[in-house]
This record gives sequence, structure tokens and C-alpha cells, in this order.
Amino acid sequence: MYGHMKLWAAMAMAAALAAAPSLSFAAEDVAKDLTKDLTAVIALLGLPCGQVVSATPRGKNDYNAVCKDGNRYRVYTNAQGRVVAEKQ
Amino acid sequence: MTAARITALLFLAALAGCTAEQPSPQPGSVDEAEVPKPAPSPAAVAPVPPLQPAAPTVAPVPPLQPAAPAVVPVEVAPTAPPVERAAASPETPTVAPPAKVAIAPAPAPKPAGPPPLDIKALEQRLKDTSAIGVFTKLAVKNQVDDLLEQVRAMHQKRAKPSTAQIRQSYDLLIMKVLSLLQETDPTLARDIVASREPLWGMLADPVKFASIN
Repeated sequence: MYGHMKLWAAMAMAAALAAAPSLSFAAEDVAKDLTKDLTAVIALLGLPCGQVVSATPRGKNDYNAVCKDGNRYRVYTNAQGRVVAEKQ
Repeated sequence: MTAARITALLFLAALAGCTAEQPSPQPGSVDEAEVPKPAPSPAAVAPVPPLQPAAPTVAPVPPLQPAAPAVVPVEVAPTAPPVERAAASPETPTVAPPAKVAIAPAPAPKPAGPPPLDIKALEQRLKDTSAIGVFTKLAVKNQVDDLLEQVRAMHQKRAKPSTAQIRQSYDLLIMKVLSLLQETDPTLARDIVASREPLWGMLADPVKFASIN
């Protein structure tokens, strides 16, 4: 009985170790898509940025974006449904 | 003595081989061997002209005129001996293709491009594409709405922006959208490029614009 439990624990550990990289890749992809999206929005609005290097969520459709050139913006959707980028 | 006999036999065998090759009636080998011998002036001139019509095939109009002189030497060939006629006959296919090639480029139909998108179809395609993110789509939609409002004001004569100014805004917006799509959704980018003028035609025409709304 004890041997079976050990076997199951080892199998679960192996499965977790195998799945961990793919989960981290998926999270990286989501973050990459978000920074790309925010970069495009800031560029569309004609604001200086270059490229968004990191984004922190503040709420629903509301992010703090840090640009490669050092600029920081709050990008969000206002009550009228417009996308706004406010310089911080 | 035996060595002399062997060499004599070998010599005879070689001679027999040489004599056996001569009567073989292979048309290809005979033509190649005998064409240079008679060297009659009309047949010698005949093969040269077909090379000249090859150059005019670049220009579409003149090739028909050189094709006629190229046929004449072939018709003259019957007066020559049969061996020369056989030599001329393989050249006739080389004469014929330039005339066909010269005729072919004239009716070259162009493939029809994709039908232009209207505003609604473009809106739907932009909504459906996975090439741009949600925030970007919303920002593009905001800018499209702004442009449509400007056009509406222009048609109702409520605002000052001239047609040229609105056209500039329209071109700028199209460029922005294309820059977003050209890497990730080139098909949609191509369709937008193809629809650029028809879309502007719909916006600039008050009647068509009213039908959109």
C-alpha cells in the first residue's frame, strides 16, 4: 500500500514537472500579446513610447504600461468606451 | 608466320567493319555527313534566316512579317536534292514556334482581383481578425467613428474640415491599420489596400454615405 502511494506521488510530481514549462510559456505568450497590444494602442494615439516592456493590470481594461524609452502610461477604456492613454 | 596471319586477320576484320558501316541507311547520320558536302547555296542560306526572326519576337507587332520570309526558304527546298530536303524538314519545327509565340502574348487576360470591401464588411473583418489585440481594435474603432463623424459633419455642412483634410485623415487611418495588419494578417491588409479607393468613394458621396448609415 505504501509502495503504491509512493508510486502515485512520483507520477504526480513528474506530471507537474512536465506541465510547468508549457504553463509558463503560455503565461509568457499572454504577457507578450498584452505588451504588443498596448504598444500598438499608444502608437495609434500618437504618443511616444517605442515599445511597451512591461504592463501591470490595475483593473478591468486598465493597465499601467512601461515603455522602453522610460515613458509610463495608464491605458484604459473610459466611460464613453474610448481607449485612453494617460501619461503618468 | 602466325603473328603475320593474326595481324592480317585483324586488318581484314577492321576493313570488314569499315565497309559494313558505309551502306547503313540511317537518315540522321547521312544527313549530318552529307549536308556539308553538296553545300548548295539556296539550302545553305535557308537555315540562317530562321535565327533572325527570333529577335523580333520581343516586339509584338513585327514578328508576323519575318515569319513569311522564314517560310519561303522551306518552300524553295523541294528544288534541292532529297538529302537536302531531309535536312530542311527538321528545321521547319524551329521556324513554326516563333510565329506561335509571337501571337500568344497578344490576348493576355489579367486575373480579377478580390472584390472591394464595404464599410460593414471591413468592420466585421477587423473584428474577426486575431492579428491585433482587443485594446487596439477598440482604439481603431474609436478612430473610425471619429472619421465617420467628420464625414457626416462635412456632408451636413456643420463643420469646417474640407474634403481634402478628411481625405488626409482617412489616408492616415488606413496607413495605421495597414501597419498593424501587414505583418500578421497580410490577406486583410491586401484587401484593405484594394478597397481603399472604393471606400473613399463611398465616404465622399453623400448619397452612398447616407445609405451606409
